[in-house]
Amino acid sequence: MEVIKTVVPTSIAQGTPVRPTSILVVGATGTLGRQVVRRALDEGYDVRCLVRPRPAPADFLRDWGATVVNADLSKPETIPATLVGIHTVIDCATGRPEEPIRTVDWEGKVALIQCAKAMGIQKYVFYSIHNCDKHPEVPLMEIKHCTEKFIQDTGLDYTIIRLCGFMQGLIGQYAVPILEEKSVWGTDAPTRIAYMDTQDVARLTFIAMRNEKASRKLLTFAGPRAWTTQEVITLCERLAGQDANVTTVPVAVLRFTRQLTRFFQWTNDVADRLAFSEVLSSDTIFSAPMNDTYQLLGVESKDILTLEKYLQDYFTNILKKLKDLKAQSKQTDIFF
Amino acid sequence: MPAVAVAELEEEAVLFRGGAPMCDFAVPGAQDTTVLVVGATSRIGRIVVRKLMLRGYNVKALVRRNDQEVIDMLPRSVEIVVGDVGDPSSVQSAVSGCNKVIYCATARSTITGDLNRVDNQGVRNVTNAFQDYYNQLAQSRAGKSSKSKLLIEKFKSAKSLQGWEVRQGSYFQDIYPSRFDEGTDAALEISENGQAVFSGFVFTRGGYVEVSKRLSLPLGSTLDRYDGFLLSVGGNGRSYVIILETGPLADTSQSKKYFARMNTKVGFCRVRVPFSDFRPVNPQDPPLDPFLVHTLTIRFEPKKQRPGDSSQGASDPRNFQLIMEFIKALPTGQETDIILVSCTGSGIEPSRREQVLKAKKAGEDALRRSGLGYTIVRPGPLQEEPGGQRALIFDQGNRISQGISCADVADICVKALHDSTARNKSFDVCYEHVSKQGDELYELVAHLPDKANNYLAPALSVLEKNT
Repeated sequence: MEVIKTVVPTSIAQGTPVRPTSILVVGATGTLGRQVVRRALDEGYDVRCLVRPRPAPADFLRDWGATVVNADLSKPETIPATLVGIHTVIDCATGRPEEPIRTVDWEGKVALIQCAKAMGIQKYVFYSIHNCDKHPEVPLMEIKHCTEKFIQDTGLDYTIIRLCGFMQGLIGQYAVPILEEKSVWGTDAPTRIAYMDTQDVARLTFIAMRNEKASRKLLTFAGPRAWTTQEVITLCERLAGQDANVTTVPVAVLRFTRQLTRFFQWTNDVADRLAFSEVLSSDTIFSAPMNDTYQLLGVESKDILTLEKYLQDYFTNILKKLKDLKAQSKQTDIFF
Repeated sequence: MPAVAVAELEEEAVLFRGGAPMCDFAVPGAQDTTVLVVGATSRIGRIVVRKLMLRGYNVKALVRRNDQEVIDMLPRSVEIVVGDVGDPSSVQSAVSGCNKVIYCATARSTITGDLNRVDNQGVRNVTNAFQDYYNQLAQSRAGKSSKSKLLIEKFKSAKSLQGWEVRQGSYFQDIYPSRFDEGTDAALEISENGQAVFSGFVFTRGGYVEVSKRLSLPLGSTLDRYDGFLLSVGGNGRSYVIILETGPLADTSQSKKYFARMNTKVGFCRVRVPFSDFRPVNPQDPPLDPFLVHTLTIRFEPKKQRPGDSSQGASDPRNFQLIMEFIKALPTGQETDIILVSCTGSGIEPSRREQVLKAKKAGEDALRRSGLGYTIVRPGPLQEEPGGQRALIFDQGNRISQGISCADVADICVKALHDSTARNKSFDVCYEHVSKQGDELYELVAHLPDKANNYLAPALSVLEKNT
């Protein structure tokens, strides 16, 4: 039998040593989380996913070969069991839009981080938002910033990754409505956002995780180019081959709506989300220079997917599928 | 555009095993391919299964026990078959419905019987079952399996010797009768126990004897759909030359001749002679085109024999006895059928190394002679590290010394499934040795994983085929 490389026991507690290839992914069902899980599985890690108990569980994670454990960040007593035997925690979780931010994004995270520290987790990877330290007026940004500081104070070996935006989000926001000939909501804001493909985020995350130079560092991942809403819509129109039905909401209206919703408790969360879009209106360029980061990680900028290529691939595929569907449905037309 | 359709496609894409329409892991045709993973609970096997699932393949796993631990270890949609590789019937049911096999099982104990069962007999059982399955499929559509061997000659009776001509010849242009010339004689006949035997002696210097036949293949078969010959012979340790003649049948003076050497072992053996081994007798001639072959000749010449390589007291290398059982042609193909994970042995304790390598080699040889497309991967000592980080070296010279991670080996297996450069090749693979400054190795070319990660085809295309 082969002699395997000896696993160095890294857990202080008694019992079996922790394998350096064991990962816990929190928020594994999310847009970013699932890409992190896939990447990890393909690279040979043993992946455990923390998901909330649901009547219809997300089985695709188990299909890919990850193990799934049930816990809820709003119930801290469920957390410690999920961390047993884990070397690295990757935190991609955030509250759902319909839930209040504070429960998951602050209290839940604090509980998770404290547990991780107590149980001797070797590495904690946290996803934050670019420039979260510059916008204390936006609750989500403020919370992310405070979480960053909390992690740094615990003494855990961390890597914090600040993100600008996901290309995947644009599909639902712009590409699908254009294809379905529905209305597209845009603003006249001059904001430019440097979207990035979540698969690239996942890939770079693992490169950073294994790189000692990224230990106890705060990195920012920004896509290759920053786009305005208008530019994205134009690109989608060109690739879809049809015009979009754009309804432009002036930024001023957004601001007013936000003040209004603040008065009502139940719409407080909506108000928080609207505040976010205000940030996007004020920060003219939501991006960051990536050369130093690429150099640190040993990655080449040409390996990062551009938005043009991403959307091109998407439209090519979806239009082909729709054509096939249409062809299929034609075949089932029966005439008597 | 139907409005509902787009939204549905989106949902489907998200929940679908293969993921979003364009994702890093999409492999065209994966959904139509079923892969049998033997050894799915091993370190490499587990990662292979996950990688296959991520890419949208259908996966079948052969496991020994069906208990909860095993079920938890494997993804849900993997079809589990309970059985043992040493048992042909469980292998049969496992192979049914599969297009490819990845064999990463190895004996878990140090008992020799286990080694033989898993690393040797298990491989044989799988190759036999695979061939049987394809033959069955072919029969049901009244055709021939594209993976089965073509029978060219089976030597079982006097009738089968028809068409075979025994000839003598010499390499010297002028033959001067010499008083030291004790002559040459050979004959092809059926022995008492019903075997076809070609035997004789060649004492003439520079002389040779041969049996030759104009091939008559079944209707519709041509040798260009085959990769080489498989001969089952009892050669007594001698080596023979196989000569193929190509050219227009009408005018044999236009024939071109190609030759390859066939070595035999003491006792019976099956020898694989790929067409790629044949060289033209006249160096100016073009490479062998199997389609044009019309005559096959087996020649014995004393000048190239290794002395003392024989048995039964026949120590004179100018004698020979060749018992011929059959000649078959091995089918060609685009892709590999079975991927076998073997080992280099450098990670095994010296006391057990010889045993393990012997069993592994026997399994490898059985796979090579089966007629199926094969890829034999021999990794260095396995390490439990994430894959895709370090450059890999692919070599065929038994020179590698570094280790490699299980995930990288799994990646190679998965990538080899559809790669035409992987068919019929055996190779070692390990990490690149990062040497001290000034001490660099220039020989071995390392392949760094990049984003596209198509390192396998360029790495394998420079390796020798049919090894």
